[in-house]
Amino acid sequence: MKFILSEEQMLFRHTVREFLEKECTPEIARSGFNRERWAQLAQLGAVGLAAPADEGGLGLGEVDLVLLLEEAGRAALPDPLIETSMVAIPLLREAEANDLLLEAADGDVVMSVGLAGSRYVTYATDADVLLLQLGGAMFALQRDDVKLQLMPSIDMARPVFRVEWLSEAGTKIGEGADLVEAAFDRAVLGAAAQLLGIAQRCVEMAADYAKERHQFGKPIGSFQAIKHKLADALLMVEFARPVVYRAAASIAEVSHHRERDVSMAKVYAGRAAKRATRAALQTLGAIGYTQEHDLHIWMKRSWSLEAAWGTSDFHRDRIADEVMG
Amino acid sequence: MNVVVLVKQIPDPANPYELVDGRLKRGVAQKVMDPGDEYGVEAALRLVDQFGGEVNVISMGPAAAMEAIRRALSMGAHKGVLVTDDALGGADALATARVLAAAIKRSEFDLVIAGVESTDGSTGVVPQMVAELLGVPQSTFAKEIEAKDSSLTIKRQTAAGYDMVECPLPAVITVTAGVNEPRYPTFKGIMQAKSKPVDTVSLGDLGLGGDDAKPTQSVDAVNPAPERGAGEKFEDDGTGAAKVADLLKQLKVI
Repeated sequence: MKFILSEEQMLFRHTVREFLEKECTPEIARSGFNRERWAQLAQLGAVGLAAPADEGGLGLGEVDLVLLLEEAGRAALPDPLIETSMVAIPLLREAEANDLLLEAADGDVVMSVGLAGSRYVTYATDADVLLLQLGGAMFALQRDDVKLQLMPSIDMARPVFRVEWLSEAGTKIGEGADLVEAAFDRAVLGAAAQLLGIAQRCVEMAADYAKERHQFGKPIGSFQAIKHKLADALLMVEFARPVVYRAAASIAEVSHHRERDVSMAKVYAGRAAKRATRAALQTLGAIGYTQEHDLHIWMKRSWSLEAAWGTSDFHRDRIADEVMG
Repeated sequence: MNVVVLVKQIPDPANPYELVDGRLKRGVAQKVMDPGDEYGVEAALRLVDQFGGEVNVISMGPAAAMEAIRRALSMGAHKGVLVTDDALGGADALATARVLAAAIKRSEFDLVIAGVESTDGSTGVVPQMVAELLGVPQSTFAKEIEAKDSSLTIKRQTAAGYDMVECPLPAVITVTAGVNEPRYPTFKGIMQAKSKPVDTVSLGDLGLGGDDAKPTQSVDAVNPAPERGAGEKFEDDGTGAAKVADLLKQLKVI
């Protein structure tokens, strides 16, 4: 397996970082989904990356996508990129639902997904089409076909909804355990990638602050209590990254260890995000607890992603199941 | 309309820079196409969208400057030329202009677009020299461009507002940061850029010799701008207002 990123993959990542640094500043990240930004992301090619080349995409895969989702986490992008580009588009591709696939890849139709392994549907009022699981099948529903109830959440830039399915509505787009299980694992991988980006950003944010903030006549970053904390957090990020990339490769290669690998990715990335956000909060001190400082945007996103598509406990159980056989 | 865009690769201005013997250290990790050149590339792409033709990107620099050309190609430019030669290390504005003019002359062009000045060197004279060497008119500081088949009208940014300037083609223009909103390279553009034609040429290929590349200007010293000193403090013992008034008089404010 090749673990070196291609020049193209690095350029894609760089382009998305550059775009998000301008179009998704922390100030903007607070305010939730934005359709204009979504259209620009689609224009770049980030939304439809996994769609086939003749369906408005680039025919690329999970290893490419995971880098972009890492950037989305880094910028705390409040858009359904996991839901649309990582889950819905590959699902529509496999189900050969080409009309919907083209519209989603072009950015005209925003999608979200509701899978049995996840209680709530994210961004449901921003999405035009919801892909919902019923038993072993996936259905496409218009927003009017369902009753949505906004649930209280710590991270209101990533809203979650309870979805009540009004009877007889929806079009079946595909069925089978392979289809729905792969969709769930892709969502888990997407969350892991974003958690990794969040963790990286928090370490950087804390390090920048530790270089600027002086106490006892020196930058606080010169004290071991701070630098060891941040070094430990960075270590966790670096340990998590190859695990997340490996999981992406396992999905792309249809490995029979796919479940185990994505679960490990979620556990490792979740742990890195937890460590990094806490280290950042402690480094920043009181300012980190305020609404005005940006840290809480990443902290809250890390909590909401930790709970999404299976908690760490759920994923540890899945790993144990495979180890114990 | 065939448009040439002059681009330069520079150390990322977002990072701190380093000087060695009065020259900018170029071996740093983070290098980018001069952000000011993106406006030129965008302006060229819009003209070619309107009139047809090709955008040719020309740069002078070390071999790694190819990345700046690739960036322009991934934005949509059609082809590129990089002039790279060891003899060009330390080239000044005139030597750069000679090289760029010689590279531009290799193919037919209707318009040459450059930024107002490079973000790192900031001489702001290369495009004017290029125009002179090419023997074509120049109009500078464009904040709006309107083209017809054989002429061009620009709104030229001035301190007081703008001038309307018309000039026949071919010509050299420089564009300001207000001229447009440069597009981001798309993923498709990045993939296509790999297969676009790019020429790497040396001084000799351009029919130039070492003498053409010799700098006629040299930098004697580079000093940081002096730090602002502490202000003057007045204790107000009842005469404070008068002292402030005196100071303002001295500064000819009142």
